[in-house]
Amino acid sequence: MASTANFIKGKNQRESIERFLHDLLKEKKVDAVLVPKRHPGGNIVSHVLITDPSKTEGIDPLAPVQMVNAACIVKELSKEPVDKKITVILRPCEVRATIELIKLKQLSDESLYIIGYDCPGVYNVKEYMSIIENVEDKEAFTQKHMEDFLSGDKESMREVCRFCTSFTADSADINIAWIGLGPSGIVIEARSEKGRQIANDLKVEEEGDLAARREKIETIATARKKRQKSGIENLLDLIQPCIRCYNCREVCPLCYCKECLLEPEKLGYSSERYLNRAAKKDQIKMPVDTLLYHLTKINHMGYSCVSCGLCEQACPMDIPLGTIYNVFSKKIQALFDYVPGKSRDDELPLTTFREEELSEVEDR
Amino acid sequence: MKQKEESMEKENRAFEPKIIAFLCNWCTYAGADLAGVSRIQYPSNIRIIRLMCSGALDPTYVIKSLLEGADGVLIGGCHPGDCHYISGNFKARRRVAVLKASLKEAGLEPERVWLRWISASEGAYFAETVEGMVLHLKQLGPNPLKSMWAI
Repeated sequence: MASTANFIKGKNQRESIERFLHDLLKEKKVDAVLVPKRHPGGNIVSHVLITDPSKTEGIDPLAPVQMVNAACIVKELSKEPVDKKITVILRPCEVRATIELIKLKQLSDESLYIIGYDCPGVYNVKEYMSIIENVEDKEAFTQKHMEDFLSGDKESMREVCRFCTSFTADSADINIAWIGLGPSGIVIEARSEKGRQIANDLKVEEEGDLAARREKIETIATARKKRQKSGIENLLDLIQPCIRCYNCREVCPLCYCKECLLEPEKLGYSSERYLNRAAKKDQIKMPVDTLLYHLTKINHMGYSCVSCGLCEQACPMDIPLGTIYNVFSKKIQALFDYVPGKSRDDELPLTTFREEELSEVEDR
Repeated sequence: MKQKEESMEKENRAFEPKIIAFLCNWCTYAGADLAGVSRIQYPSNIRIIRLMCSGALDPTYVIKSLLEGADGVLIGGCHPGDCHYISGNFKARRRVAVLKASLKEAGLEPERVWLRWISASEGAYFAETVEGMVLHLKQLGPNPLKSMWAI
């Protein structure tokens, strides 16, 4: 789809985005904006729903920290259609998760305007908190992080971010672009009809040059692709520390079921059955069924997994779940040539079928 | 070495695999029933669980069967185009493809899971399938997960 580009040149990218969102609210193009903002204490950056244009001051979507996958917040915010226009500012993995949730009919997108932005990646939240505490100039820290992203990732970044190659929000209504566009400006790319509705008659200061940008994106993606793993050799060892706390399910934007098959009561545990199961194998690890849990989760949401890595961040036992789920879901998505969150029109692979396909699984 | 091979072969011959079968109510279960009323002999290694449709089978039950030591899992549904619910078997096929891909990636054995289309009139084919599966599993040997307790 052809995109139109409007250039906004502020003090830095953060401030340019602030101006853009301020104008959206001021000119009543939208009624509310959901965007990450730095809390008064200075360390925490989390999503805030803003209705007053002046309150966009201090928003910080580019800060390298992601507390939750914001698709979960968007789902909560858009449970039913409202007569207001809400725009949500999301990282690319959050845009993809939101689009999957729309396709899974988990949220109403009539009043929703999805704005994504080029994402420089994030630190693990605990890592970020310990660093940022001792940083005086938080804005300079974010700027430095973006520069590092352009010249090669920092080792301390989250592993999923370091191998992520989908760091631009191509399937959003609007993408806020800054990669390869100089030190301070942003380009507002309208990528859908809805996007054009709110972006088109904004003041255009000048047209941005998108050729250099494409080249830069290609370079970063190629370097990162080398970090991606093609297989998991020792899954059993890796998930050995799992305590089945369900954290990875709680934070997963695609684990949307209201009733989960993996709840202990659904799995039918009773004292007697534990003893029977132990007797069958002479001994059994407690808590039971950690491999069953992860394999089932992979089977249930693997086709839609957007590799946001929130599961890994939430794991108290530091299991590399981001890498594990990335490897498994890539294999599953490849079966159906499906890229989650890429398009609203691609059918969800497990709700559709072709009459002639997959004859190999009917054999052995 | 040869001695070891011989003893292993002996053990495998003695080994009777246990198969959990998830069969759809309308076709394969009726096919199994026909095999019974027609007095067609087939191995007794199979434990049948009846479902309304192969499309109603959650992969978790297949995984659970394997992790708890079943040597094989047979999923039986109507032939493509014959599903009582129009497209349940086509959807089951996609789920089984996902399941097999994930088992393979996890280092488990996807070949222990069989998906077969068997109609209500194919009693002989049902018996043949069970025979073939038992033979296949005897060659594969016992499911190594049977003795793994830390999973």
